[in-house]
Amino acid sequence: MTGASPAIDGAIGVVREDEDLAPPRRRRPWLQAHGRALAAVLLLLVVMFPFLWLVQLAFKPAADIFEDGLLFTPTLEGFASLLQGNFLKSFWNSLAVSTLSTVLSLAIGVPAAYALTRWRFPGRDRIALWILVTRMAPPIAFTIPFFLAYRWLGLQDTLVGLAIVYLTFNLAIVIWLMQTFFEAVPPALEEAAYIDGCGVWQAFWRITLPLAAPGLAATAVLCFIFSWNDFFYALILTRTNAITAPVAIVNFLQYEGWEWTKIAASGTLVMLPVVIFTVLVRTYLVRGLTAGGVKD
Amino acid sequence: MASIAALRGPGWEAARHRAFLFGLAPSLAVLLAITLLPAAALLVASFTPLSLTDPVGTFRFDDPLVNYRHLLADERFLGSIGTQLKLSVASVVLQLLVGLGLALLLDGKSKVLGATRTVFLIPMVLPPIVVALIWKIMFTPDVSPIHRALEAVGLPVRSLIANPDTALWAIAFADTWQWFPFTMLMVLASLQMIPSDPIEAASLDGATRWQLFRYIVFPHIRPVLIVCGLFRLIDSFKAFPLIYVLTDGGPGTVTEVTNYYGFIQAFNFSYWGYASAIAVVILAGVFLLSWAVGKLGWNDHDRR
Repeated sequence: MTGASPAIDGAIGVVREDEDLAPPRRRRPWLQAHGRALAAVLLLLVVMFPFLWLVQLAFKPAADIFEDGLLFTPTLEGFASLLQGNFLKSFWNSLAVSTLSTVLSLAIGVPAAYALTRWRFPGRDRIALWILVTRMAPPIAFTIPFFLAYRWLGLQDTLVGLAIVYLTFNLAIVIWLMQTFFEAVPPALEEAAYIDGCGVWQAFWRITLPLAAPGLAATAVLCFIFSWNDFFYALILTRTNAITAPVAIVNFLQYEGWEWTKIAASGTLVMLPVVIFTVLVRTYLVRGLTAGGVKD
Repeated sequence: MASIAALRGPGWEAARHRAFLFGLAPSLAVLLAITLLPAAALLVASFTPLSLTDPVGTFRFDDPLVNYRHLLADERFLGSIGTQLKLSVASVVLQLLVGLGLALLLDGKSKVLGATRTVFLIPMVLPPIVVALIWKIMFTPDVSPIHRALEAVGLPVRSLIANPDTALWAIAFADTWQWFPFTMLMVLASLQMIPSDPIEAASLDGATRWQLFRYIVFPHIRPVLIVCGLFRLIDSFKAFPLIYVLTDGGPGTVTEVTNYYGFIQAFNFSYWGYASAIAVVILAGVFLLSWAVGKLGWNDHDRR
């Protein structure tokens, strides 16, 4: 497992040693030396242009929305108008349901990940694979049964119901990802604790989990982001009470489609936590996004 | 471990395994309840005529294959599979090409390239609904800078998502924008694992850059590209927010993929039994592809 991760971490920012194969020449022309970086930055600007356009739209006065100029006085009108409607509530719902689902999946998934790491029983690989495959299943296959069951159970349009549905993908993430972090903790440390009289879970709680804390934090962030980003489940399983921010954005688009400043502001707010988290935990994030994808 | 067993008494190993089972059991129970159980329920529902207007149809199995027979005769369903294939193949091929190209460009050690690599990840982590919103703005002539620029130079263009000939391509384009970072990331990781000796040897022998790529680099990253392609293909069956926000399956049904048709049948028309049959078909397709991934020996956890 650990074999692949340095390379992935390296893919993002860490420097590779053997890069310049050509013998160092004295005074290469500037363009030749920096041409690649220049091309990369230019491409970046082109590719990220639609994204930047959304952000600038959020700060544009509503009166200027159909003007071409980039010279305008930035305003917070769009954000202020969000305070009046139900958007704040949906934002809060998103926060609550993502947090709840993250806590639930960590509480259930972390012990399982640890057991799968340290206990090589027959059939272990098959179970690990099944857990990964659950993440691949299309949401439509789960939504129909959940929708029908929730009508009957009274969980429709509740935060708890939505948080449970998010376990269908988050639990697999936790179990799969935490295994890689637990594998990095030497079993000898736990064995020392056993000799001192600790039980399995006592040793886990006092020795292994603290050592895997950074990994735990990264996993929590990923779970949060995946729940936060969900649209499909929230669209179908909520109506009014438990509506999340992504669904609220779509409602704006459908019922207030001309208020682009407001819509852009809501989009900017919803992506803000994700972009911040991405910058904070980017190496771990990369590992989670490619979970199961890179040969271990 | 033997010494620990000696110290902690004969029951230690068994107690340890019991403890592990205790940790594993809740997860397995929950996964069983939220994945296998719904999958079974879906399969059962697909054999019934269950719908909002016929709630007692829940347990009527007098003609279990009725939904599947209808599917085979449903032109809209068959068309949706064609649309799905077109969209999936187009966007996956584009993603692989763009991702590969960018990875080759960004595989260097300068600080600028490192920072660029991070920023290029943003489309992939953005909430899908925000990606859809971004492209809704780009494709709406009123507010799109592209449309307005074209208009300013006297070349007004009809919105790509309102035109039946281009709508599917517009979606494939937006989907590519969202997901090329995945391929880029995987290829970059793979590029870093190429041993430098063969490249050095070949360049000493006078190999051109193209030859280096064709005969050393490409064979090394080919397996990663294949797996990327399969992963993205599986994921492309879930395409939803882009279609929902940009075209709503239209104009007409030109962007109505199978997943979207299932959604419409289930939650617009409330034909739950019929929609379940559609979902079963998608699920079968996903499993077939996952099986292909497994066949390629990718996720063998212990094989190194």
